[in-house]
This record gives sequence, structure tokens and C-alpha cells, in this order.
Amino acid sequence: MLDVRDLRKTFFPDTPNEVRALQGVSCQILEGSFVVVIGTNGSGKSTLLNAVAGTFPLDAGAITLAGQDVTGWSEHRRAALIGRVFQNPFSGTAPGMTIAENLAMAARRGHRPGLGWALPRRLRDAFADRVRSLRMGLEDRLDNEIGTLSGGQRQALTLLMATWRKPALLLLDEHTAALDPKSAEQVIALTHQLVTHDHLTTLMVTHAMSQAVNLGDSLIMMHRGRIIHALAGEDKRRVRAEDLLARFDEVRRMDQLDAGAASLLAANYM
Amino acid sequence: MNLLLGSLTIGLILGVLALGVYISFRIFNFADITVDGSITLGAAVAAVLLLRGWPPVLATLAAALAGGVAGAVTGILHAKFRIHGLLSGILVMTALYSVNLRIMGRSNVPLLSVTTLAERAETLGLACSGGRAAVWVWGWEVPVRDLMFLAFSVAGVALIAGLLYLFLNTRLGTAMRATGDNPQMICAQGVDTGLMIILGLGLSNALVAFSGAVLAQYQGFADVQMGIGMVVWGLASVIMGESLVRARRPGFMIVGAIFGAVLFRLLVAIALRFGMNPNDLKLITALFVFAALVLPGVADRVFKRAGGRAHA
Ligand SMILES: Nc1ncnc2c1ncn2[C@@H]1O[C@H](COP(=O)(O)OP(=O)(O)O)[C@@H](O)[C@H]1O
Ligand SMILES: [Mg+2]
Repeated sequence: MLDVRDLRKTFFPDTPNEVRALQGVSCQILEGSFVVVIGTNGSGKSTLLNAVAGTFPLDAGAITLAGQDVTGWSEHRRAALIGRVFQNPFSGTAPGMTIAENLAMAARRGHRPGLGWALPRRLRDAFADRVRSLRMGLEDRLDNEIGTLSGGQRQALTLLMATWRKPALLLLDEHTAALDPKSAEQVIALTHQLVTHDHLTTLMVTHAMSQAVNLGDSLIMMHRGRIIHALAGEDKRRVRAEDLLARFDEVRRMDQLDAGAASLLAANYM
Repeated sequence: MNLLLGSLTIGLILGVLALGVYISFRIFNFADITVDGSITLGAAVAAVLLLRGWPPVLATLAAALAGGVAGAVTGILHAKFRIHGLLSGILVMTALYSVNLRIMGRSNVPLLSVTTLAERAETLGLACSGGRAAVWVWGWEVPVRDLMFLAFSVAGVALIAGLLYLFLNTRLGTAMRATGDNPQMICAQGVDTGLMIILGLGLSNALVAFSGAVLAQYQGFADVQMGIGMVVWGLASVIMGESLVRARRPGFMIVGAIFGAVLFRLLVAIALRFGMNPNDLKLITALFVFAALVLPGVADRVFKRAGGRAHA
């Protein structure tokens, strides 16, 4: 279970470039739950995932994962509990290393790398089996460098890597946004299959309304560093893409009102 | 023939330096100038320990250890104190200049009166040749000492290359390669990338110092100036090796770096033999590295433009 309490993060504080990326975000994700995160551009979705993964130190707040307070843990230490897939297909794999080598590192996620052989025979066979199930013809290319693969193939492998050892939490940050529609569909199908098969606790950011309504058992909507809307259970099951789009329009109108009010105030009092 | 023998031997010794530079420059994408200081550090530590009567093999290993510490310090400056990689190397290299002078006590330590690896090679060689100081090879008279040292160098470099290859295929070696290739990815697998950089630069400079220690014993002296420009020399070897093997997998790169070092040394020896001024050596080495770094890009661009025109 993930428990996030009152996370706050401001980038470039006290400068003209100040960005309040997280302004008090709290949420709880029950074990085995699949939460979809949507929100306007720059609303802090990636920042929330990065905060949970430990990419940067927080200004305030606490994160508890699998019963442990991980707030003070380094990113690589948290990786023992967390599997990640990034938006950029280049981020999740080492391009100059082979498919097998990449998988081997994922198969040891969270363990100190020692002087043992990286690729024992038995592991290679397991990789071949698992990669064959992707039906991308990659099982014959285990010794090819990942840099030679397409974005969709890389994201599929990154998903395999992130879930090879069952993570306490799976973080997916718009992991299909950079793919062509067909690859995106494949990767989403794989995501669904892996998450439901292993009952993975998952936090998935997406910009695609179809994914937001079809996947997951709850949904949160972010805006300006806050969670402004949350749906679960029956409400989530029933929600349609139009409902979500209407919400976005509402948010946009409020913003315009705010901006209008601000300029009105400025005109009258300054 | 003696010129060839000498060039081959020095080329092989510097092949170990090239392996060190391969680790920092190609595996970690880290232009590590510590090399200029740590090769001298290796020579200095070995020389002083030999003068104190240490056995040559132990003195050489101690020198490698000292180089490892120097490289780890560079790694710590970079990974823990967030100092720019190039600057971290410059700081340690500069500090090492004083450290090396301290260790040696003066700027040049001759090793003519002590037992070094070279003497060990000679003793063994004499035993093999039945006491003759020179043998005939393809019509040339060759000192047994030189021949034996070359044989030792071949065996030693092959052993080190083999061990390095095995290491790079362990979990730790794989994690190091991934750290240079995509730090974000390996961090997401739970590996401390800072630690990998510290260990990797330590290993790299241990090899460099080892090379310096053997070089000092071959030449018969350690000199505080001997490291100047050695990082560029190592780069030249690695780059030349890459153009020889044309593959980026570790096994090929290791073999390439060694052959690159030997070939580069041979070319330099030939150039010197045909009247090149030794003072120009560093300038020419630097120009070579510059050309090797820039030319492939230029070639690509020209090629692409030509390809584009063909399509149009
Ligand atoms: N590492 C960072 N450094 C500085 N600013 C950042 C960083 N990460 C995110 N931001 C800023 O924080 C805001 C939220 O970004 P992000 O979380 O990426 O939004 P999104 O919801 O689109 O994923 C943006 O204004 C972005 O520019
Ligand atoms: Mg984002």
C-alpha cells in the first residue's frame, strides 16, 4: 500500500522561475489497486511520480510504502520496492547493452551487484521464454543491443523489466505517449495483462481519455499541483470520456475566471 | 629489431593504461585526467617500495592499489561532492603532483641498483637460454632480458585483459557499464550510480598505476614528469583500437585498446626513427586525437549530404 501525505515541492524557490509543482498532495492507494492519474499539462503528475520514486528531495510531506516510511530513502534504495516505466522509451533501458543484459539487471532489482555471473544459463532461458510471450520476435535477438529496437519494443521490455520482480508499486508515466497508435495499443494490452495477472499496485499517468476510462479501478485528476477530483469504485466504472473532458473544460473556465479577476483587481487597485 | 622489441614492450605496457582509459572514457563517458597523475603515482610507489627491498610483484600490486585510491578520490569528488567530472580529475591530478614528489623525495628515482621485474625477467631468461646474454632471432642479435620482458608483457597483458573481460560480465561489471550507458535506468534497478562511478574510476586508475609501475621498472627510473599527456596517449590508443575492431562490445573494445596502444607506439617509434622531433610528440598525439574525434562526424555529414542529394 502507498500512503502519500501532504507532499509539497517548489522548483527554483524565491526566483522569478518559481514553480509550485506539488502544493499539498495526499492520497492512499490500497494494495492491488490500479490508479489512473490525469491532469492538465504541467499540473504535477510526473512530479508526483518522481516524488514517490525519490528523484528529488521533498520540501514537505511523508511517503509510506509497503509499511515502511521511505521519505528519507534515496532513489536507488526505493527502487527495491518500485518498478518504473518512463514516458521516454530511451529512459528505461541501457541502449548500448543487450536485451539479455538489461533483463538481467532488472531480475536483480534492489540487490547489491556482486561478482556473480550476470547472465547464468538458467536466467537466459527464462528471458527467452518471457520475451517470446511478447510476440515481437525478440527471443532470437537477446544478444542484440537494445539501441537497435523500436520505441514500442523498448517500452514492452521496460514493462517486463519493471515487473520481473514483483514491485510493491508500479509507476507508469505516460508510457505510451511517445509511441505510434499501434505500439501504444500493444503496450497498453501488456500493461493490463501484467497488472491484473500479478495484482500489482499501480499508479499510471495518462493523457489518453480512452485509457483513463478503460483502465484502473480509481482515478485522480490533478491541476496546479493539487488533486482536484477523485473517482473510485462504481463512480470510476461508470465514468465516460465526455465526463472527464467536461471536467477539464470546467477547470479551464475557472482558470480564465481567476485570470480575469486578477487583471480586474490589478486594474482597479494598482 | 631492438627498436621493434622495445616499441612492442612499451606498447603492451601502455596497453594496460589504455584499458584504464577505456573504462573511464568509454564505459563511464568520463574524461578522467587523474590518469596523468596516477600513472606517475604507480611509478613512484613501485620505485620507493623497490628501493626498500620489496619484491617486484608486490611493489607493483601496491602501486596499483595506490592508483585505485587516487581514482576513487576523483570519483568521490564527482559523485558525492557534485564537482564537474573534468574538474574532479584536474584537482586530483594536481594534488598528485605534490604527493608523487613527497613519495619519491625528489623528481627522479633511478632503479638501476635494485631488483625489478626487469631483473626477474632477465634471470628467468638466462636460465632458459643456458646463460647466454643474447640470442639470435631471424638474423638479429637480441638481448635475452628484452625478449623475456616482452614475453612477460604479453602474458601479463593477456591475463589482465582476460580478467577485465570476465569482470565486465559479472553483475558488478554489468551495473558499471549500465551506469555509463543510462544512469536513470540502472538507478531504477536499485543500483547506487555514485558508488559505481567511484569503484569504476578506482579500477581504471589502478590499471593506469599498474602500467606506470611496470613502465618505471622497464625504463629503470621513475620521474615526476612522466605522466604528462598520458591521458591523451590513452585516448589515442582507445580510439585507434576502436577503428581497428569496429564493434562496441566489451570484448572487442578490450582487444582493440591493447592493439591500439601497441600500434600507436609502433607508429610513433617509426616517426621518431625517420627524424620526427621528440619534442613534437605530444602535439602530434593531441592532433591525432582531435582528428579521430572530429573526422568520423565530418565523414558522416558529408555522407548524409551525398545520400540526401541522391534521393532528391
Ligand atoms: N526537475 C524539475 N526542475 C524544474 N522544474 C520542474 C522539474 N520537474 C517538473 N518541473 C515543473 O513542474 C511543473 C509540473 O511538471 P510535471 O510534473 O512534469 O507536469 P505534468 O503534469 O505535465 O507531468 C512544470 O511547470 C514543470 O516545468
Ligand atoms: Mg509529465
